[in-house]
Amino acid sequence: MKFEISREWIEAKARSEGDYEIGAGLLGFDPSVDDGTDGVVVAEESRLAFSRFVALSRRNLRLSAEGLADYADVELAEVMSIESDLSYEPEPRTVHQLAHAFSVDQRKLMELSGLARPKSPAFIHEAVRYAARSESLEELSEDEMVALEAMVAILSKR
Amino acid sequence: MSNLPDVSEIVLLQRETNELVPAELWDAITDKNLADWEHAWTPELLQRLLVLAKQGVAQKHWPQSFHWNWRDKAQSIKGLLDRQCFSVVCDDMTQAMMITDLSRRAQLESQKTDHLVYVDYVEAAPWNRSELSGVAPRYSMCGSVLINAAIQYSIMEGFKGRIGLHSLPQANGFYANHVGMTDLGLDADAHNLRYFEMTPEQAEEFIKKGG
Repeated sequence: MKFEISREWIEAKARSEGDYEIGAGLLGFDPSVDDGTDGVVVAEESRLAFSRFVALSRRNLRLSAEGLADYADVELAEVMSIESDLSYEPEPRTVHQLAHAFSVDQRKLMELSGLARPKSPAFIHEAVRYAARSESLEELSEDEMVALEAMVAILSKR
Repeated sequence: MSNLPDVSEIVLLQRETNELVPAELWDAITDKNLADWEHAWTPELLQRLLVLAKQGVAQKHWPQSFHWNWRDKAQSIKGLLDRQCFSVVCDDMTQAMMITDLSRRAQLESQKTDHLVYVDYVEAAPWNRSELSGVAPRYSMCGSVLINAAIQYSIMEGFKGRIGLHSLPQANGFYANHVGMTDLGLDADAHNLRYFEMTPEQAEEFIKKGG
């Protein structure tokens, strides 16, 4: 399809457009911004899974917390807070960077971190189940490796 | 997603120089547009959100579209005949994107149940949004171009220019005052977003030569 939008039309309209925002989209509205109470239980579970996933992935890459911070270009304090403080809410940029570093879907990791409302709570429960298999923070055992691989698969689904 | 869009030559207003510069309107969202969203829009958006967070701005006051995933959305509508995508490209970078839906009907009493082009999603790149940066957009007129395209598309489909959309709160003024759409009020079925609709007469007024 071709469209006719002339230079003259743009010039005329530019006088009145100004700096207006243009966003529209029912499907994009984030109910989690509005609801304040709904989904709290899911958020707590998902933070646990998120914390475990970050720790497991870091150990799988044989990185220290500082090493991960450098690798993912995020703040060291954030990495440490994510792994040790389940009440900690990560910065959106940090989650984006970690998703890239760990090669998983950004949106899914946002949901797991609690920054975005999960489309399917079942996905969170599944991630939590695998996260619970990891206990120590030493070298990954065979079971922990299986658990990590399963979580990566979940987070990579589109 | 088509990788071979039809390209219409347009111009945008570059705000730094206040000059009109060449740009393109594509009738698709391609892999290139989605790559721009992932590698340019998203990091820029997150940087700007980081500023808001550090300023202590509560999340409920952040732009509501900050978590939109264009790749997921484009993938979910792939192959659907009643969906049409559009993108605005300038300086080899995606400046705005839009997805429309042909399956909805008008709500305005004078055209109730008539077909219209419903704007599912429309968003400008973060650097074109003064709300995020506090400074003038890099390029203006992306919104007007896309609405003009939606109206022309409506005419092509035989819907006489009728369009409809649910505006995000920050954009209510754009649709009410600049585009000249009718405000049908808050829609309780749409998280209380304001629903706007355009009649054929309003559409003709918006796209007529001379603006």
